[in-house]
Amino acid sequence: MSDSAESPTETQKEEIHPPPDDSATNDDKKKIDVLLKAVGDTPIMKTKKWAVDKGRTVQSLAQFISRFLKLDATEQLFIYVNQSFAPSPDQEVGVLFDCFGSDGKLVLHYCKSQAWG
Amino acid sequence: MSCGVLDEEEFSRCCQLLLHHSDSVGDGWSWEAVQSSDEGYLKKTVLRSVPADQSITQKHKESGSDSEQFDYCRFKTEEQGVNGSADSLRPDVEDEDDCVCRAPGGSSCSSVLQFEYHVLYSCSYRTPVLYFRASTLEGRSLTLEDVWNSVHPNYRLGLQSRPLDAITQQEHPFLGQAFFFLHPCRTEEFMKPLLQMTWDQNRPVNYVLSWLSVVGPMVGLDVSLDYVTLQQPTV
Repeated sequence: MSDSAESPTETQKEEIHPPPDDSATNDDKKKIDVLLKAVGDTPIMKTKKWAVDKGRTVQSLAQFISRFLKLDATEQLFIYVNQSFAPSPDQEVGVLFDCFGSDGKLVLHYCKSQAWG
Repeated sequence: MSCGVLDEEEFSRCCQLLLHHSDSVGDGWSWEAVQSSDEGYLKKTVLRSVPADQSITQKHKESGSDSEQFDYCRFKTEEQGVNGSADSLRPDVEDEDDCVCRAPGGSSCSSVLQFEYHVLYSCSYRTPVLYFRASTLEGRSLTLEDVWNSVHPNYRLGLQSRPLDAITQQEHPFLGQAFFFLHPCRTEEFMKPLLQMTWDQNRPVNYVLSWLSVVGPMVGLDVSLDYVTLQQPTV
């Protein structure tokens, strides 16, 4: 399963695409499909479906989305599973997929908010 | 529930649901009733082992000592007068405010801290509010900086670069003791779109649980996925 990302920047390529040796083994069980949905007036990502390494943390994904959306330092991003619950930042998306995945994908909602401070 | 806030009755109801789950998985939350009224708050005490590399060693590395061999952790105590001895920390007191623990043999030193989290209802903001405090096992209170340093780096990012502005010291409304608290001013703002979404989809949501899952990690409180997965229908 490949992602449908255009991945225009170097950074995105590094983060989403696997390192060379992983792709050589062609083990796509190491990645899960994630569908990102915006909440409220958070910008909608042009690319919503991503193949993400199972071991990727929620925090890492949130950072990626923040950069992708070009959020500034005063904004922070929250990610929710099951439309209601923010998983721990160091939770692995693979675990979330096991718990909440359906139809072969994990739906994550993301929402931006003004940061504290 | 409406517009990102909730009334006290809803708060109590959500807390009871959370407690029900907590009891079934042994997560340790309890309800502290205020006198004999329906008012009360959630409480949880957590013991946490804090490794040396997550403490504030960097600022206090001494030159010319064998600090390269040892990892040590240091807690700046609040000025409460007597700096009591701490057998488990093996203190090497350098000034009256610091307690240094050294672990010989180059192994990383870790100390056990006690964290206490309270979830209260704020009538003025109409949201839950998180109060917390931390101390060593000997009862020495931690400063906010030490609390912050004990939180896993991944969790700290949630409060951007100026986390301490959002956390202030406050007198606990019921206990009258000094606690840290996470200011509720942003709560309605981040809860509103979440609640709106669940309303639109006609899905009930536990406000307190959702809120806690967001703010908990900011202060080192983990809210297990159990709370949500246990609600899932069996596949």
